[in-house]
Amino acid sequence: MGSDAKLSHTAAMILQALEAGFVYGFSIMEMTGLPSGTVYPAMRRLERDELIRSHWERQSIADAEQRPARKYYKLTAAGKATLEASRRRYPLLERLIPSEEERTV
Amino acid sequence: MTPAFGRVFFLFQRVLLRGASLLVPRRQRAEWWREWDSERWHVRQSYVPLGATSWQVSWQAECAVTSFCLGAFKDALCLRRHSRQKEPFASLRGSAAQCILWLVAALAASYAISLLLPGVRAENQPSRYQVNSGLILIQDARVHNDSVATIPLEQYREWKGRTQRYFDGLAFYRINKETVSTGVHAQVGWEVAHASSNLFALLGLPVRFIHPDGDADGNMPRLILSDEVWKGAFGGNPQIVGSVLRVGRYQARIVGVVPNGAWRLPGKADAWLLEPDYEIDAGGMGHVVAHLTLLGQSEMQAPHVEITARDPDDAEDDLWGASLEERTRGPWDNFLFAIFLALLALPAITSVSTGEYGLSVHQPSWSGKLCRWGFLCAKLVLLLPIVYFSSLDLAYWHTAFYSLGSEYVQLVSSFSICLFGLRWVLLDQRQRCPVCLKVVTNPAQVGQASRTFLAWNGTEMMCLGGHTLLHVPGFSTSWFSTQRWLYLDTSWGFLFAGSGAGMKNEAITGSSTH
Repeated sequence: MGSDAKLSHTAAMILQALEAGFVYGFSIMEMTGLPSGTVYPAMRRLERDELIRSHWERQSIADAEQRPARKYYKLTAAGKATLEASRRRYPLLERLIPSEEERTV
Repeated sequence: MTPAFGRVFFLFQRVLLRGASLLVPRRQRAEWWREWDSERWHVRQSYVPLGATSWQVSWQAECAVTSFCLGAFKDALCLRRHSRQKEPFASLRGSAAQCILWLVAALAASYAISLLLPGVRAENQPSRYQVNSGLILIQDARVHNDSVATIPLEQYREWKGRTQRYFDGLAFYRINKETVSTGVHAQVGWEVAHASSNLFALLGLPVRFIHPDGDADGNMPRLILSDEVWKGAFGGNPQIVGSVLRVGRYQARIVGVVPNGAWRLPGKADAWLLEPDYEIDAGGMGHVVAHLTLLGQSEMQAPHVEITARDPDDAEDDLWGASLEERTRGPWDNFLFAIFLALLALPAITSVSTGEYGLSVHQPSWSGKLCRWGFLCAKLVLLLPIVYFSSLDLAYWHTAFYSLGSEYVQLVSSFSICLFGLRWVLLDQRQRCPVCLKVVTNPAQVGQASRTFLAWNGTEMMCLGGHTLLHVPGFSTSWFSTQRWLYLDTSWGFLFAGSGAGMKNEAITGSSTH
């Protein structure tokens, strides 16, 4: 999918949340306020269209913290380009979900 | 909340996730479950107060976790849809070609089943059961069920002894249970029709393996076996013809076999014992078949005729003659009659329009119109044989023999399948894009459904090819009573850039509707 693809506002928010460092489903839900029934299907579509990709956390890390391993998501190069295009379309996106650096400042 | 309730909620949430996981395609299920179970754990932990166990969360927290788990169903359905789009024939889904393929498959299945059912095979060979023309079955007018034998042998003999103006041939048969010796020690009980020796000649029924000496051996009654008995008791051995069996107190020679489905007169017989009239045992009622003279045929204006006859005591009897053509007309007449009835009933259950309106500004091309009408005709042409074969399959599923019951089943099932099949054909036609003939999809309710009567409402469906939008009003008004097609202009193109991209874009933008 090219960077000029027109994403829905929900999909753009999820991409923005991922770039802002919210890398698993529940954190994206908390950040965006969207329900699980919206966030997870949208991430499936984004992953299918190769805008994001996922990987499992190492089991040893999860075991050390006595919790189940999580599935993390990150933007692909195409996803980053699409997010840039979406920011132009939705100018308030960055204000809704500021990046990690902006949050720590 | 007590830990016990916490455990109950915990179990309930896992059951929800397990239920949702069943919707996920099998190859993705394990990973899907792992992710959702892990997320559920983390969601739950986020609500556990400091220093408490994971079972000690508030009621609101349990509701939040349960709500989180309910979202798994949408995710599972989403994965399921994606999986279907990857299937090799996904592009065919909803297309006219897919519809035709399904109909062809249904036709092939119903035809294949009909080949396996002996009753249907027999029905489809009219030469097996068609009798001579001008035959009627005579019975007592007071008894409306023709399967009940109503004519005494004495009365038949009385008619036979007189000169008849209306009949030039009469035959009698009566079905009795008889013990038959089929071997040295083997005795079986058969339903044997004691019949006049001219019965089969009068009917003109085909008999297989006719024994050449059958007619010459005048002293010994002749026995004709049914196909079922011939195969069941004698293993279908043609050499059995010509041998002698003991039927009750008679010795009888087997002279032939009646093909399956040939006998359509009242009563089911395993064998027919053909005897001279004077040798048939008196007592008990039987059936009489008569062949009409030309005068008799000219008098018979309807399939039934009232007959007045005198019995041996010179009293008048009211009789009823029913044409045997009614019983031997085959399934085709029933089928045509059922179609006629279904066509009459169709307007009562659906609109008979195909959803194309002359008032529309958009004028489809002639080739487009031709395609739509061709598609409609193809569906109808395929539907009719499906109705024919499937109704016969239902009628002869449990029986290999013709009976009035199976005829009724065929009539009723033909009518029902035809009626609802025609309804489906029209509904399907109305929900297909006039441009590409694909089924419109993604229904969306529009308008204010019940807030106020004046706010009209309806359903809109979109052609995945991006050609049209179908609006179906929720209720009819004088200005907007039927469905109408809205042709989409090129400004909609970005949503449907190519068929594959169309699906992809639908999925991406679909997230905004959540």
